[in-house]
Amino acid sequence: MSSNSTYQGVSPIANQEDLDRDTFLRLAAAAGLDVSSPHIEELFPNVRSLLASLESLRQMDVSGAEPDMAFIPPRE
Amino acid sequence: MEGLELCYMSAGELSRLVESREVSPVEIVEAHLARIDATEPVLNSFITLLPEEARSAARRAEREIQAGAYRGPLHGIPVALKDLYNTAGVRTTSGSRIFDTFIPTEDCTVATRFKEAGAILLGKLNLHQFAFGPTGENPDYGHMHNPWDPELITGGSSGGSGSATAAGQCTVTTGSDTGGSIRIPAALCGIVGLKPTYGLVSRYGLTPLSWSLDHAGPMVRTVEDAALAMNVIAGHDPKDVASAQVEVPDYTTALTGSDGTGLRGLRIGVPAEYFQVPLDPQVERAVREAISLMESLGAEVTEVSFPMFHDAQAISGAILVAEAAAYHRDLLLEHGHKLYPPVRLRLEAGLFISAADYLRAQQARTLFNRQARELLNQVDLLAGPTEPVTAPKLLATHVQAGEEEVATTAALTLYTRPYNITGFPAITVPCGFSDEGLPIGLQLAGRPFDELTVLRAAHAYEQVTDWHRRRPPI
Repeated sequence: MSSNSTYQGVSPIANQEDLDRDTFLRLAAAAGLDVSSPHIEELFPNVRSLLASLESLRQMDVSGAEPDMAFIPPRE
Repeated sequence: MEGLELCYMSAGELSRLVESREVSPVEIVEAHLARIDATEPVLNSFITLLPEEARSAARRAEREIQAGAYRGPLHGIPVALKDLYNTAGVRTTSGSRIFDTFIPTEDCTVATRFKEAGAILLGKLNLHQFAFGPTGENPDYGHMHNPWDPELITGGSSGGSGSATAAGQCTVTTGSDTGGSIRIPAALCGIVGLKPTYGLVSRYGLTPLSWSLDHAGPMVRTVEDAALAMNVIAGHDPKDVASAQVEVPDYTTALTGSDGTGLRGLRIGVPAEYFQVPLDPQVERAVREAISLMESLGAEVTEVSFPMFHDAQAISGAILVAEAAAYHRDLLLEHGHKLYPPVRLRLEAGLFISAADYLRAQQARTLFNRQARELLNQVDLLAGPTEPVTAPKLLATHVQAGEEEVATTAALTLYTRPYNITGFPAITVPCGFSDEGLPIGLQLAGRPFDELTVLRAAHAYEQVTDWHRRRPPI
């Protein structure tokens, strides 16, 4: 059985270096989170993982596709 | 009739006995309350039990039926609601102690419709906190336990609904499904779970998780019961902005005879991509055997390609966490420290998704939906596993899927998320058991608002198998 790379990619990638700590703290403060809480240290790798998981979305060619915001599925 | 037999009868079977007055709703409710007493210390399916209210409602139903005012197949039948369905006068916690004393003043639409149908509310069911997780973990009210092996998870987020239904604690339960939360526990607990088309069942009065992905639906032991429940809860509700204005058929017309003839002529597509991911070989075998059986009964089975299946996790994940963070933001900032830490972390992380990334995910959703619709122009249904694994151990962060170890959350939502993205109807039905005696589910997905075809195929398959009749050892 073959393994698909995208499936592997859904598991958070903890070692991405895209988001540095200072930027994270600035964003966290802007989001209203208490950056002085020890909890923030636990959040940092989770946020990096989440943002890394968006990379596959950023690589998709979505040109010409409007966001599907109507939600109600059309009848066939 | 022995109490345990009543507990394992379907709503369809019970309704025929109730209508003919061979069995009273009072007997049914007492049998279920006794079953709950006996099993709840192990399962922890309920957050709130309503024994006296249920007894009172059962006596009222009994009087009505004796007076000739039979309301229909759910009259006198026990139901229980996931504890994020608002119930007037009964606390609704959403699985968090923050809402331990929250008592809604109004019923959600689904509760209203069940009441009007004469169903009897036994209680409110345990769930993964705020429905934000697929395992059935809840430190505030206790983790949920799988009736087939209490050391294993029920799946989530509607874990209490899965365990209560599978263990005969209740006949009809409800779940909500944002990334698979009806179908995951249904598959892992060995019952039937239907995620209807987006907008078909009102979500008014349910605590949201992700507005554009949330669905409400039934969790039951037979496909007939799914049809009976849908006959009560489906239909337009002006109070839900996403509610679809579509005609609602009699879903029991999808139920054909006991010889599987309902499968004749149905075109079933099996996405090749479903089998290109880590998958327990026992699950693969059971699902392929189920599909072969459907083919032998007259379905036209073809392999199809659904390349964007592999993008479902990324698309759904971005939309879900962004919408969940938006909905729970105030709670998070004020009471974050009171949340289950994994739920808190996922919600907080959602605050970091940019509007551009969220909209990009919605753009990708457009492409995903287009591909899924094109597929369902070629075939009537898509078939495959509901879960790549059987129920994992409680609190296990990773699970073995074939030769690979994968993250539990990612594994459990692998096959379910695509149909939250599209909003298409999808059902899981039991299709076998592992060597360890754990249930395996088959997922069938159909065209939007074509629940009749989904139910028809599921029912026809169910009628020629006996997986749904097996009972957990508890």
